[in-house]
Amino acid sequence: MLSEVLDKFKEDYKDLITVRREKKDRLYFYVEDSRLREVVEHIFHKLGCRLSTATALERPDGFEVIYHFSHDGSGVYLCPTVFIPNKDNPEMNSITPIVRGAEWIEREMMEMFGIKFREHPRPEKLLTLNHPEKVDKPLRIGGK
Amino acid sequence: MERIIPVGPYHPLLEEAEYFTLKVDGETVVDIDIEIGWMHRGHEFISESMTFTQSIYLVERICGICSTSHPLAFVHAVEDVCNVEVPVRAKIIRTLVGELERIHSHLLWVGLAGHFIGYDTVWMWAWKYREPVLQMFEIISGNRNHYGMMRIGGVGRDVEPDSIPEMEKILDEIEKKMDMLVKVVRDDPVLKSRLKGVGVLKKEDAINFCAVGPTARASDVGIDVRKDEPKDAYDMVDFEVIVLPNGDVYDKFVVRVLEIIESVKICRQCLKLLRTERGPVLNKVKEIPPGEGIGRYEAPRGEVFHYVRTDGSNRAVRHKVRAPSYANIPTCKASCIGIPVADALITTASVDPCYCCTERAVRVIDEKNRELHIDLLRLSREKTERIRREA
Repeated sequence: MLSEVLDKFKEDYKDLITVRREKKDRLYFYVEDSRLREVVEHIFHKLGCRLSTATALERPDGFEVIYHFSHDGSGVYLCPTVFIPNKDNPEMNSITPIVRGAEWIEREMMEMFGIKFREHPRPEKLLTLNHPEKVDKPLRIGGK
Repeated sequence: MERIIPVGPYHPLLEEAEYFTLKVDGETVVDIDIEIGWMHRGHEFISESMTFTQSIYLVERICGICSTSHPLAFVHAVEDVCNVEVPVRAKIIRTLVGELERIHSHLLWVGLAGHFIGYDTVWMWAWKYREPVLQMFEIISGNRNHYGMMRIGGVGRDVEPDSIPEMEKILDEIEKKMDMLVKVVRDDPVLKSRLKGVGVLKKEDAINFCAVGPTARASDVGIDVRKDEPKDAYDMVDFEVIVLPNGDVYDKFVVRVLEIIESVKICRQCLKLLRTERGPVLNKVKEIPPGEGIGRYEAPRGEVFHYVRTDGSNRAVRHKVRAPSYANIPTCKASCIGIPVADALITTASVDPCYCCTERAVRVIDEKNRELHIDLLRLSREKTERIRREA
């Protein structure tokens, strides 16, 4: 049954998503930042998926943000990925207005990678909010 | 008049330091804010500089209580990348160790919850019954904690066939005691009136906050990785997922106690399977190909999530870890609003954020910047005493 749902999802959103990797129970796909909310709205409300977490990655040409949505009951993961080509001033839409559970992880990505999430209800630092020293640059950039 | 009660950063309930700010109006909590990051150790970053085998030992040390869940989720993630077949005997051993961990972690929580509401007998009993579980760990792995059992493609150590009868005897004993504990929890009128209806987390809040584990299951959200994605031996054993409808602290208590009984059932089935299932326990993996993988495991507190991206070398390019408390602690924002201060302690504790035995009074600063001292633990215990007297 879920494969039908997945096939329908891929068919309905074929203009919005580019599948980058597909294997058993895992679907990773790229989605444009401007259409991310549309896709997430469908995955969270219509398909009833739960947000496990999100991962940000630094690439030589920009940043990648991967949201991991779990379809509980079938063990399938849907991972919409947003590529941000801007290295100096990375910015993308927040999904916290749709999924409340994304608040902390988006704040963490903001702090770690310097990615700005537009329309985040509380764009504050998560880990170094009251840090005794001034922390004014992304913690994980240029560290390696 | 609204007042701010800062709790922490060294919180009486948390193993890791955390900072809760309770905004109270009289006796009622009107808002709660949570600040984390006091114990950020950079595990993801460190793991990316280590080989996969070294990382297993590193992630084992993320949490002292969940020292099977993290390595197990991590090896699941790497196995998702390289598609290695795990031998059946290794799957059974993984399940056995994982379930034993659930028993000892839930017993730890039951004990501490009892202590916080003034039931020190429950606390001492629960911790006493936890001891044989740790002995079982010692029989299996040689360690009472940080078992070092998980490997990519299997487990590091086989279970000695001679030790199985001894472990079965210990399980019998644990089961008897757990039956007694269930009766205590279900039949005690004071416990019921103290915890029933306290700190309710509604189903829609649990879904919105993406809560996991017993916190979600006590709010009628029937998710359990063991059933949803049955890896290891979970498709070979018979067990029930405990789901309760009310979302209050009492239901979270009952879910955990009933889960202990289910875990004992699973452990017994695993030991039975180990009697007949022979074979290797490790399928050695020579190379990890480039790719990405997701691994998860139902830890005692909920889903542990690991994401690994590899490039064909012997280390991960990116390793993401999400512990269950990261998803569960924000639910306090929904469950703590509108409850009395005396219940705030047990409500924040009900999600089972990693505990510490440290006790500390909290500071209350009133509007004129004067300090008042309030002991949340004392408040909580006094409330139970009041109910007990009235009953």
